[in-house]
This record gives sequence, C-alpha cells and structure tokens, in this order.
Amino acid sequence: MKLRRRQRERLSLWLQYLAFVAVIAVVLLAADWGRLREAFFRVDIIESMFPTIITVALRNTILYTLGAFAFGLVFGTILALMRLSRVAPYRWVATAYIELFRGLPALLVLFLVGYGIPIAFPEREIPGGVFGSISIGLGLTAAAYMAETIRAGIQAVPKGQMEAARTLGMSHFTAMRTIVIPQAFRIVIPPLTNELILLTKDSSLAYVLGVTAQTIEVTKFGRDTLNDRVNATPLLVAGLTYLIITLPLSQVVRRLELRYAKAR
Amino acid sequence: MKVHSAVRKAGLVVAIAALAVSAGCAKKEQGEVQAGGVKLVEKGKLTVCTHLPYAPFQSKDASGRVIGFDVDIMDLVAKDLGVEQKIIDTPFEGIKSGQDLNAGKCDAAAAGMTITEERQKVMDFAAPYFDATQALLVKTGKPYKSLDDLKGKKIGVQAATTGRDYAKKYEQEKGLQLVEFEDLAAEQQALANGQIEAAINDLPVWSEYIKEHPGGFEVTAEFDTGEQYGFSVKKGGNPELLKKINDVLAKAKQDGTYDTIYEKWIGKKPNA
Repeated sequence: MKLRRRQRERLSLWLQYLAFVAVIAVVLLAADWGRLREAFFRVDIIESMFPTIITVALRNTILYTLGAFAFGLVFGTILALMRLSRVAPYRWVATAYIELFRGLPALLVLFLVGYGIPIAFPEREIPGGVFGSISIGLGLTAAAYMAETIRAGIQAVPKGQMEAARTLGMSHFTAMRTIVIPQAFRIVIPPLTNELILLTKDSSLAYVLGVTAQTIEVTKFGRDTLNDRVNATPLLVAGLTYLIITLPLSQVVRRLELRYAKAR
Repeated sequence: MKVHSAVRKAGLVVAIAALAVSAGCAKKEQGEVQAGGVKLVEKGKLTVCTHLPYAPFQSKDASGRVIGFDVDIMDLVAKDLGVEQKIIDTPFEGIKSGQDLNAGKCDAAAAGMTITEERQKVMDFAAPYFDATQALLVKTGKPYKSLDDLKGKKIGVQAATTGRDYAKKYEQEKGLQLVEFEDLAAEQQALANGQIEAAINDLPVWSEYIKEHPGGFEVTAEFDTGEQYGFSVKKGGNPELLKKINDVLAKAKQDGTYDTIYEKWIGKKPNA
C-alpha cells in the first residue's frame, strides 16, 4: 500500500503520540504506588514539618540566596567592567578569574571559603557566620557567571550612547555609570533572574559549612527530618518548598522578557 | 521539509528506545544471583554500603583502598561465601533509612552503625558486633568537662548519627548550640579551626583521631548510651545473608579472629 506523503507524516506523528503514551503508562503501571505513598507522602510527617520549614528553613534559604546574589552582582559588575577595560592587566585578571571560577564546582568553592579562610587566618572570622560564608562562597562563583552576562549587556548598548555622552562632556566613568550601565541592566534582567533561581537551589550547599537549628535551610531541614523520622517524605516536602520561590521568579522572567520584546 | 521529517523519524526512534528501556528496567528484581545459598545483588560480590570516612571502622588508606574494623569483619563473611567484598561509599541517610538496602544498591550495610529501635523498623540487624559509647572531644587545655560547661557554646555533631541524636536531647535543657556537619572530617576540621568548641562522636573514632594528632585534642567526657553497632540487611529481604553474618561473627568470636581484628583497630583487647 502506497501512502501519500501527508498520510505518511500523519501516521508517523500518531505513532509518536502512541509511543509517548505507552511509555508513561508503562512507568505509571509498573510503579508500586502503595510503597511510594508510604515512602514519600506520610501526612503526619508533612504536618510535623510546618511551620518551621517556612519560618526558619525557607527564610534562611531566601537570605542565603539574596546574600550570594548581592555579592555576585556587585563583584560581577566590577569584573565585567574590568573585562571591557582599556587597561590590559585588568582584562587579564578578570578573564582568568572568570575562567577559573566558572570551572570550579560551587561546592568546592564553598568548602574553601568555609574551611580554607579559617585555616589561613586563624585569628579572624568571616562576619555573619554561615550567612557571610555562603554569601561569599556562592557569590564568588555567581560573580563569574554574572560578569559574562553583564558584559554582554554592556556591549549590547549601542555605541552611540557612549559617544553622545562623551560629546556632551561626560567623563568615561560618568557616562558608563549613568548612561550605559542602566541600559545594560535592563537588557540582562531576565538572565540575571535565571541566575537568582539557580542560586536558590545552590543555597542548599550550606550543609558543608555545618549549620545549627537557627541557620538551617530547606534541603538540610528535609534531610534532618528524614533522619529523625526514617522516612523520605521530608525530601519531597523540601523539594516542593523551593517551588514557592522559583515558580514566581520564572513567571517574573517571562513577563520581563515579554515587556522587553515589546519595548524593542 | 526534508529535515522536518528526519527530525520526526529520530523522535520516533527515541520514543521506541525509551519504551524498550523502561520495559527492560522491570527485570532487575528477578536478576538476583546466588552464592552459597545467599542472594546477592551482584554476581561474585558481597556489596556493602558505608559512609566514609569513619576510622577506625571504615576509611581509605594511602592507596585509596577502604580498610577498617568493619571491612575486616565483612571480609570474613565474603570469604565464607566465596565472593569478594565490594564497598560503596554513600550518604549515611540512605544507609540508616534503609533505602539503600531496599533499592538493592547493596547486600548489607556496615558503617559503624548503632542498632536503634527506629532503624530496626526499616532493616534487619545481625547480632551486635561492637559496644560503643559517645565521647566529647575538645582541644587540649580547654575547660570543658561536661555538657554543662558548654552552655551557649557551639558543639559539633555529625548529621544522622546517634551522637547527634544524643546531643539533640540536651540541646534545650543545657542551652547548647549544635552545629551539624555532613562528614566526620568536616566536624574534625571545624574543631581544629576553632569554629566549634567541642565535638561529639563515637569514642573509637576520637581515639583514632587523637592517635593521628598527638597532643592536640583530648576526650574529656564519655556518655555511656549503651549503644551497640550492628551490620544490617534489607528488612525481611535476605534472612540467609543475615544468618550467614551471625554465623561468621559467632565463629570469629569463638576462634579468636574477632579479638585479633578488635586489637588491630581499637588498640586493645575487647572487654570480656
């Protein structure tokens, strides 16, 4: 039987749907739902996690994320400007930093900050305890990523803006600060928000620093409850808690992107 | 258009492959192998879950081989079965929650693990093989002799351990500030750095640490919690292996092998 091209295409499309549905059906039917519910959805355990998971754990997750983001943003902007500088050594240092810190796992950087600095400077400590250490530890890595994003943003601002500002008598620095960077940031807000979402999840690495009941964050709280109750339900609850932060943020990114597309 | 249909074809192939893979997954459970009448997850291997480092029970030597008290005892079991021991390093949560055993990741858990009521609910323990107490480690010369001296001070504990649970019980009452560390090594490093004033963990673990860092640290208090270590297997899942471990342990205690291993790792003979 010879099929026309259109029919062939339609047949192939249906086969794909069929295969897709079959895969899902096989997975759903093969799973042992009773055991899954027993392991991941014990209502009494879920109840026991509230309100601490919100009042302490989620609060700390948000604080750590914002701390790291703020550190990364400031440091990342400096790095971006260094990358674009006319002074060659600035460019070299910034490039080397970015390449190095983009390549290192955040976990390792955090560990080096948390344990390396106290070893190197036994008399001093990082201000802010866990908050300070994680802001710096995650911020160092985030800065490397953000620097590249911000640099791209600055370069996307038309050259004419800088030239016009200079013609009006502004210094390079003033023109950069008041004309170029504000426009650049409008361009890079969506990718920077993505970085914020990534940091939210990276904040779970706080556990390597050693945390107390007051400085605990969502993932560690989930794992601790798992230990106390010998059941995996807390992990599911902790995972879903992140969505409280990340889903609205994703929505914000989408809105901003739309608005930006319109403005253009 | 040509590209388009090629993409579709590729999609179809991927979907069919996924279907085949998901169908294939289901087979694992029946694929168990036997050795000496005992079910094993991998042929010719006694797969053991542990969480490193936990010297002197489990730790890596200079060449990267895992050695220790637990390793030697499990080696006896493996030898009796005529297989080799294979050690998997995995987070302690997975071990103590029984999930590693349930998931068929390993045949047995041997991780300096205390037998507790809660853990007994999720796995089957063999007979106890070691009596452990908790101990307080401080830097030499610090004035902390008990938990009472540590009011408002930072005390390190290791996540998911009985030492942590013990300290947690007194956290409110004694006004302690517990700092939880993921690994023993991180807990030790934090104590050495002065990020915490004292650290709680099992006594043999501290004895080993003091041996490696003479003069720097001392144990100032011991908490007799009546704890005993046990090896475990999947809950209701492998009575044959459980019996084998018990038989090997009993035999080793009888013929002196156990005492030799004990002395090798703990540095003295077990109390009679």
